[in-house]
Amino acid sequence: MSNLFVRKATGMVRSWSVFDAFVYAFFSINIVTLGFYSFSQMYFFSGGMVNALIVSAVFLIFEIIVYASLISVMPRSGGDYVWMTRIFGGGVGFILAITGWWFTLWLWTPVYGDMFRQVVMVPLLGVFGLKDAAVWFAGAGTPLFVSTLIALGFVALVIMLGMKTYARIQKFSFYAGMLGLLIVIVLLFTGSPEAFKAGYEKNATALFGAQAGAYDATVQAGIDAGAATPLTGGTFKLVLLTLPWLVFFNLWPNWGATLYGEVRGATDYKRNFSGMAAALGAVTVLGIVFFLGVSRTIGWDFYMQSNGAWWNSVWYGATVPLPVWPYPALLALFLTSNRLIQIVVVVLMSFWWFGWAGTLFLSSTRVIFAAAFDRLLPEKVAELSERGTPVNAMLLMVVPALLVSYLYAYNVGGFNSITLAATQGIAIMYFGTAIAAIVLPYKKKELFEASPIAQMKVFGIPLITVAGVIFASFLGFLLVEWLFDPWLNTGGEGAGLYGISFKNTNSIIFLGTCYALSAAIYYGFKSYRKRGGIDLDKVQAEIPVE
Amino acid sequence: MTTIFFATDIHGSDICWSKFLNAGKFYGADKLVLGGDMTGKAVIPFIHQGGKNYRITLLEQVFEPSTDEELADMTKRVRSRGYYPYMTNPDEITELEKDPERVSKIFLAEVLKVVQQWMDLADKKLDGTDMQVYCSPGNDDMDEVDDIIRSSKRVLLVEGKVSSLDGHEMIASGWSNITPWATHREEDEDQLAVRYEAMTRQLKDPHNSIFNIHVPPYKSGLDEAPELDKDLRPVLAGNSMIPVGSKALRTAIERIQPLISLHGHIHEGRGATRIGKTLCINPGSMYEQGTLLGAIVKLGKNKIENYVLTTG
Repeated sequence: MSNLFVRKATGMVRSWSVFDAFVYAFFSINIVTLGFYSFSQMYFFSGGMVNALIVSAVFLIFEIIVYASLISVMPRSGGDYVWMTRIFGGGVGFILAITGWWFTLWLWTPVYGDMFRQVVMVPLLGVFGLKDAAVWFAGAGTPLFVSTLIALGFVALVIMLGMKTYARIQKFSFYAGMLGLLIVIVLLFTGSPEAFKAGYEKNATALFGAQAGAYDATVQAGIDAGAATPLTGGTFKLVLLTLPWLVFFNLWPNWGATLYGEVRGATDYKRNFSGMAAALGAVTVLGIVFFLGVSRTIGWDFYMQSNGAWWNSVWYGATVPLPVWPYPALLALFLTSNRLIQIVVVVLMSFWWFGWAGTLFLSSTRVIFAAAFDRLLPEKVAELSERGTPVNAMLLMVVPALLVSYLYAYNVGGFNSITLAATQGIAIMYFGTAIAAIVLPYKKKELFEASPIAQMKVFGIPLITVAGVIFASFLGFLLVEWLFDPWLNTGGEGAGLYGISFKNTNSIIFLGTCYALSAAIYYGFKSYRKRGGIDLDKVQAEIPVE
Repeated sequence: MTTIFFATDIHGSDICWSKFLNAGKFYGADKLVLGGDMTGKAVIPFIHQGGKNYRITLLEQVFEPSTDEELADMTKRVRSRGYYPYMTNPDEITELEKDPERVSKIFLAEVLKVVQQWMDLADKKLDGTDMQVYCSPGNDDMDEVDDIIRSSKRVLLVEGKVSSLDGHEMIASGWSNITPWATHREEDEDQLAVRYEAMTRQLKDPHNSIFNIHVPPYKSGLDEAPELDKDLRPVLAGNSMIPVGSKALRTAIERIQPLISLHGHIHEGRGATRIGKTLCINPGSMYEQGTLLGAIVKLGKNKIENYVLTTG
C-alpha cells in the first residue's frame, strides 16, 4: 500500500525487525535444551540423524506457511484458540487449545526442570568443584523434583517481571548462548579423538567422581543399552520413524508467532514466514554442524553410546560409568583442563535455558485469559495483582504442574515414560489448527479474499490449503506412529520406540483426563452462563450483515 | 434491567457498522454504544486503465478487475477492510504524489461520505424501533465527523456529555492521551483530567454510572500495546508489551468508582478487569476482518447482573 494514501492513525506502526522475529523463533527450537536433550534420548533408532534433521525441516516449512498465513488472515487474534473457535465453533477450539496450551504445559514443567539441572545445575556444580552436589542433582526422584521447583520459581519470576523485561533477557541470552555454543563447536572441530578420550577419563573423574576406565566402561554400557542410531543413512522409512521423537525438538518455530502483529500486506506475510523459516533453517544447519563436530572429535559411536548408557540407567536402572547426563557442551569442555574456560562456557551455555524457559507458561496465560474473557472460566482467573501479575492464572498453571512434576520426578506408576505426550498434546492442537487452515478459504471466503494472502495459490488452490494438507498429513503420521508404535507389530518388549502408545495407560489416562477436563469446563460453564441469561453459542456467532 | 451492547474501533468497516446496527436485535440489547474511532485508515486508488479496466493494489497485491461485477466485488472487498476506494487515473495519481494536501482533502471527503452513508443507514435500519446509538468519536476521527453525527435521528453525539441510559448516567469522551501519531483528539494527562472532571462533577449517582471513555486506564491490562522505537517499529518482534493507557482516567475511576467503564483504542487489549469495584472492559477490535468484537452488559441498580465479550 502506498504510504501516500495511508493517514497517520493510532496503531499504524512500521514493520518489526525480521532479525528479532528470527531470534525468538530460533530460541523456540532451542538446540541446546530441546535439541541436545532429545538427540540424546534417540540412541536406539536406525535412521540417520542428519537425514532426520533435513527431512523434518522440509515438513516443518509447511507448518510455518500455515501459521504465517493464519496470522496474515487473522492477526493478533490470540492464535490457535481463536482460529479454531472461529472456524469450527466454540467446543472443538476450546477443548483442543485449552488442552494443548494449558494442560499439556503441566507435563512440560518437569521436563523443563530436568533440562534445567542437566544444562545448568549439574555442569555448574561440577566445574565449580562441588562433585557430590553435582552427582546428587543428576539423580532420580528428589533431585529432579527440587530442580523442577527451582525452574518453576524462575518461570514465576518471569511472569512477575513481565514480557517487556524478559524479552530483553531473551535477546541478551541469544548472544551469550551463541557465544558459548561457538566455543563448544570450535572445541569440537579443533580437538582430536585421542585428546577427547584422555580428557574424558580425566574430567569424568575430577568433576564427577567417575572411576578409572570410564571411557571404555561407557562404550560397553552404551552397547548394552542398544545404542545404534547412525549419523547419516538409513532408508527413508527408517528416517521417517525417527521424526516422532525428533519433533520434540523442532516442532516449535511458531511458538511466539501470534505476537508478530498486524499484517498489512504480502510483504509482512513474507517477513513472518522469513523469520520462522530462517530460524528453522539456521537451527537445522547448526544441528548438522554440531553432529559433524561430535563425530570428528567425540566420535559418533561414543556419543550415542554415552547417551544410551545414561538413559538406560535413568529408564531401566542400569549402571552408568559417568554419573551425569552426557551434556555435549560438557563433553566438549573435557577437551580442556582449564577450569576458567570450563566455567565461562558452562555459564554462557546456561543462557540457552534461561532465555528460553521463561516462556513455559506464556501461551497458557494467554489462553486462560481468553477463555475467561469468553466467560468459559471465572472472571477471577484473569485478575491482575497491583503489580500487574496474573496471580490466579499463575496458580492454575503452577499448582497442577507441581502435582504432575511430583508424579514425573518420582516416576509414580511409570509416569516418566510419557515425556513425548507433552509433544503429542500440542501436536493434536496443531492438527486442529492445520484443518482450520485447510478449510479457511472456503468456510470464511470473504475474510480470506480480503486478506493479504488471497492471491497466493498453487495451481489455483490457496497456498494455505495446500500447506495445511501437507502439515496435517505430517501431524497425522506422527499421531499414528505415537499411538500405534511400530514396536507393537514386532511383539517386542519394553516401552516401544516412543513410549506413548495406547499400551501405555499413563499416557492415555493423562491425555484422556486433560481432554475430559477441558470438555467438562466448556460444557459446564456454557450451561452455567445460560442459566445466567448468556448464550455462549450466540456470543460467538456471526451477526447478520443485512 | 438494561442491556447495552458496546463496540468500538470499527475504523470505516461497512460490515462492522451493519453488524453493529443489527446487534441490538441479535443480542437482545436495549441500547447501542459505539466507543469511537469510526473512520478508516487508508484510501485505495482504483486506477482507471481504459475501458472497464482498473488497477488496484490492496495489501500489496495487485488486482485488475475488467468487468462491472469484478469492480463491484473489489469495492466491497476494500470497504470490508475499512479502506476507502477512490476512482482515479494515472495522471491524477502523478499529480497527487506531488500534492499531499490534496490527498488529505480527498481522504476527508471519502471519510465524511462514508460517515454520512452510515448515519443514513442507521436512521433507516433503526426506524420504527426504540433503539438509539450513543456515539463519541475517537482520537482517530476528524472533527468534521461530529456535525454529520449531529444530523442523525438515531445516532446521538454524546462526546463530553452526561447522557441517561435507562436510569444509568453515562459520561463519554473519545479523547486520548498523547500518541506517537499526533491524531485528531489527543491531549496531555492534565487536560484529560480536567475533561473528565467537567463530566463527573455533574453525576448525581456516580457509583451507578457508566464511563464510556475511548482510551483505557493506565496499567489495567486493557492498554497493553507493542513497545515502539523512535521510528514506530515494534521492538523485539512485538514481544515487548507496555501499558499506554491514561493515568488521568485511572485516577478518575479509582476516585469515582463507577459501575462500569467501557474502552477501546488498543485493538489487541481485549479483556475485562476490575479497578476497585469498577468493571473495566475493552472488547478489542478486529475490524479488518469484518468481525465485530463487542460486549453485552446487563445493568441492574448499583450492580452488573452479567456481562460477556462477543465475537460477531
